[in-house]
Amino acid sequence: MDDLEADAGDPEELSVRPYTLTQGRTAPARDDLTLITIVKTVDPPPGRSALRGLQPEHHVILRQCRGSAAVAEISAGLNLPVSVTKILIDDLVARGQVTTRPPIAMAAGNESDMNLLRAVRDGLRRL
Amino acid sequence: MVFADSEPAAGGVHVSTPPAAVKILVAGGFGVGKTTLVGAVSEVTPLHTEEYLTVASEGVDDVGGVEEKTTTTVAMDFGRITVNPQLVVYLFGTPGQERFWFMWNDLVHGALGAVVLADTRRLESSFASIDFFESRGIPFVIGVNCFHGQVDRGEQEVRDALTLGPEVPLVMGDMRSKEVGRDLLLALVEHLITTLSTA
Ligand SMILES: Nc1nc2c(ncn2[C@@H]2O[C@H](COP(=O)(O)OP(=O)(O)OP(=O)(O)O)[C@@H](O)[C@H]2O)c(=O)[nH]1
Ligand SMILES: [Mg+2]
Repeated sequence: MDDLEADAGDPEELSVRPYTLTQGRTAPARDDLTLITIVKTVDPPPGRSALRGLQPEHHVILRQCRGSAAVAEISAGLNLPVSVTKILIDDLVARGQVTTRPPIAMAAGNESDMNLLRAVRDGLRRL
Repeated sequence: MVFADSEPAAGGVHVSTPPAAVKILVAGGFGVGKTTLVGAVSEVTPLHTEEYLTVASEGVDDVGGVEEKTTTTVAMDFGRITVNPQLVVYLFGTPGQERFWFMWNDLVHGALGAVVLADTRRLESSFASIDFFESRGIPFVIGVNCFHGQVDRGEQEVRDALTLGPEVPLVMGDMRSKEVGRDLLLALVEHLITTLSTA
């Protein structure tokens, strides 16, 4: 954690700055977040004392996810790369301040997948 | 009026549960209309995000067999369609530079399928995307863009040029049209249903 400042000639210089937000971490502790994992702030949302030690970006995530949002949407909202966003979300998961829902995984020949596809089809027809 | 707490907890799903998500990719060559299609069907203005990818650099001499790695930023835009309160479809327009997003596992992994857009004036710019989805076994449909407001090549001619099997759905139209975008997505989902029910 002692050398967050990139050397001027560092080829990865561009990627270093956002990682100061993550205190140097370049990968989340757990690697189960995907672009479309849905994140939701716990209800009731964490109070002021529970927010100690968090960055402003964490607060933005907690606010955005009161309704629930996908990792990609959070990344777009923060204007930060997906991998950096995942680390910040992971911090909140570790603190028990957000819950996550993984995307639906499809398996061939599965009846619930058929129902899912029919639901998507019916939804698209209403567009 | 049904109250939230009287909603049956079918399959463990409660009304306060966040929606489940699925994704569909929109691919094709540079400037072919990916963002336009996403915007035409999305309920929100396309959102933009980026990711860092670590890739093997090109043209470095492999002294000692050590591969140079560099970090590259890829950008993509995406939209969403809320199918029902329990289900959201995310549409990801892939970045123009295929050789990078092909390595973006999180983008590719778990997609229901893909829409590959093709411009009749330069069909070859969509070859790489088609090859990619074929080799990964990801189902796809083709959207043929009609940039001059008319179809200047017949469907069979396009199929031949792209070496598409007869089972691959193909829709021609203007990607700025919501109806065309909807028809493309419907063609994909119906293709998935057919494939699944004959599996
Ligand atoms: N006439 C016509 N113009 C279109 C059609 N689809 C897209 N365009 C236009 O073509 C231009 C490029 O479309 P984009 O949607 O930005 O293409 P893209 O594939 O996202 O481009 P990159 O992300 O840069 O690879 C825009 O000016 C669109 O308005 C179409 O079907 N007909
Ligand atoms: Mg685009």
